[in-house]
Amino acid sequence: MAEMTGAKAVWECLKAEGVKHVFGIPGGAIISTYDALYGETEITHILTRHEQAAAHAADGYARASGRPGVCMTTSGPGATNLVTGILNAYMDSSPVIAISGQVSTTAIGTDAFQEADMLSLMLPITKHNFIVHRIEELPEVFRMAFAIATTGRPGPVHIDLPKDVQLSKAELEIPAKVEYRKPLKLDPTPSEVTRAVELLVHARQPVIYAGGGVIWSGASPELIELAELLQAPVTTSLLGKGAIPEDHPLALGMLGMHGRMVANLAVTECDLLFAVGVRFSDRATGDVHHFAPRAKVVHIDIDAAEIGKNVRVDHAIVADAKRALRAIIEALKQHLRKGRTSEWLERVNSLRRNLAPRMDYDDVPIKPQRAIKEIMEVAGPDAIITTEVGQCQMWAAHFYRVRRPRHFISSGGLGTMGFGFPAAIGAKVACPDHPVIDIAGDGSFLMNSQELATAVENDIPVVVCIFNNSYLGMVKQWQDLFFGKRRSQTYLGKTPDFAKLAQAYGAWGDRASKPSEIGPKLREAMESGKPAVLDIVVDPDEHVLPMVPAGGRLDEPILT
Amino acid sequence: MKNRIFSILCQNAPGVMMRITRVFTRRQINIDSITVGIEPSGLARIILMFKADDKHTELLRHILLKLEPIEAVEVIEPEDSVVREVALIKTNPLPPDQHWRIVEQIERAGGKIIDSREGAIIAEISGEHDQIERLLRSLGPEVLREVARSGQVYISREF
Ligand SMILES: Cc1ncc(C[n+]2csc(CCOP(=O)(O)OP(=O)(O)O)c2C)c(N)n1
Ligand SMILES: [Mg+2]
Repeated sequence: MAEMTGAKAVWECLKAEGVKHVFGIPGGAIISTYDALYGETEITHILTRHEQAAAHAADGYARASGRPGVCMTTSGPGATNLVTGILNAYMDSSPVIAISGQVSTTAIGTDAFQEADMLSLMLPITKHNFIVHRIEELPEVFRMAFAIATTGRPGPVHIDLPKDVQLSKAELEIPAKVEYRKPLKLDPTPSEVTRAVELLVHARQPVIYAGGGVIWSGASPELIELAELLQAPVTTSLLGKGAIPEDHPLALGMLGMHGRMVANLAVTECDLLFAVGVRFSDRATGDVHHFAPRAKVVHIDIDAAEIGKNVRVDHAIVADAKRALRAIIEALKQHLRKGRTSEWLERVNSLRRNLAPRMDYDDVPIKPQRAIKEIMEVAGPDAIITTEVGQCQMWAAHFYRVRRPRHFISSGGLGTMGFGFPAAIGAKVACPDHPVIDIAGDGSFLMNSQELATAVENDIPVVVCIFNNSYLGMVKQWQDLFFGKRRSQTYLGKTPDFAKLAQAYGAWGDRASKPSEIGPKLREAMESGKPAVLDIVVDPDEHVLPMVPAGGRLDEPILT
Repeated sequence: MKNRIFSILCQNAPGVMMRITRVFTRRQINIDSITVGIEPSGLARIILMFKADDKHTELLRHILLKLEPIEAVEVIEPEDSVVREVALIKTNPLPPDQHWRIVEQIERAGGKIIDSREGAIIAEISGEHDQIERLLRSLGPEVLREVARSGQVYISREF
């Protein structure tokens, strides 16, 4: 027990949770908490240039490290600027702790200066949210916030912190002695395991479908072991990329609208779909009535509310992915007759050979597929890839072979342009020894390009590869395909000279106009030791294909 | 669609009702009746009535269970439970002969006169939903000036 202010207690609570980094911007309603940070040595604060970027950076930090990311803002506009970033974290189950100042408890409800009803605004877009009414509650609120954010299916938690609570003093015990008691089923029951094993041993054409849940539960080793044991091919969701090394002979790549054809066809033909830690997003399933039409579906997820939400499920296991897979592997080992899937694997491999996507274009302007190939070769298996949203994201998702979990960070559920760059900053802060590359679009990058200042000032050397097509390319693609090529408001025209823009901020900047320039210039960017922008001029007319139209069948993609 | 009843055990704190109701609002499901009482434990019990198909009912239950302040969600089958509703009614001033007829009618339906002044009556009736509906219909809008109803409360017959 020690007497301290609420402001001081905030940092003591964060330290007690092991927090090392906070992303944020101060202001009137949080100024005393920032005052208590002055001289603090155990926590590094990274001043972003926009609060949305602070939220995305915290999100990127969490996804890269597996530990909660923390962001902090003032009340009113500072707090409302978090909204997109927090919803983004919520949709993708990322543990972000967001703290914002609030007007004094006595002023709440009076439309005081910079008052926003954050309790109501954050309520539907967080796993849970708090307002601290009295300083005595503060340690408990922080303890619970971290527990909630990281227990079971992860998610963001918002804490609203009135000014008078930050200023008041009390004897506090930190960390608070409270336990998080929400009941959680982590282990599969024996009968759940038995039934799963029965389905698996009887399957002749199984496909494993892995999502972000596998990555959050640290279940990649189990996933790979199961796949190898069964000799079953594995596809992933966007957020599952990296759960199995994508150069593994059993890896099919991503499923869905912009997924690999082999993955989409394998799921359509399979007799058992073994889904782990996925939520069957409409972008992954297409028309649910023709999704895995011949298959029995097994669904393992820690969130009971996901079972049967989007697709029919024949056998559900509510459990932690790692524990469920471990139990199933152990039970399977007693059972399995070898080689049952060899015909199926032959079929899948011949599909894979015939449908292998092409990347080796030499054209100028550069084909984006080639640009991905060049980046992949230079970046190496250690690189953490983040993406913006649009065609750039889908080029990366479709073509980039991710080798490890937590090495591909993309805005899945919300599809937030402007996510990739601040997320890269967060990832780099979390993993300073890894190269971090944002695969960006010109439109998306401009939504948070001010963060070049953050990266330069705080010496965070991330590399942005802009796929510069002078278009809001993905919207343009839809206009070309579905709206008679009427390109309404998607031409960006004279985008800034991105290399010069980077240089103006004090970052490294250059442009690549020919395929052969990408590799050497990217290497130079990475070796510069500075935040860097490589402006890659790509073919504006290239579409991301094949593409399954929204609500269409996975086996009926648009090919040309 | 079938009538559904959830009996929700949750913390008794500001904002909990908002967390619960928005789960329904977002999915365009109308809440037909809602009642709140405090249990001896200090937790609140909220009884909600709505209409939904089986799939939605199960989904709503799981989503509610995820809310931090919620401890339990019980699905109550109307057939297997005791249900009560209370209505308080106030009549217009009635001429003496009609006054006595109405008093008799209310008492015959199981109601109780609470107050009466200048020919107007305040009465209470509790019972099952239909029983209350029947009385209110038979009194009609000419007689009734105001009705306050509690919504339905349920308790399962299981011990
Ligand atoms: C914040 C936000 N606004 C709008 C959209 C809709 N949208 C989706 S993709 C896209 C175009 C993205 O353009 P760019 O970043 O240049 O990437 P490209 O598709 O050209 O590769 C837009 C506008 C979005 N996803 N997010
Ligand atoms: Mg573009």
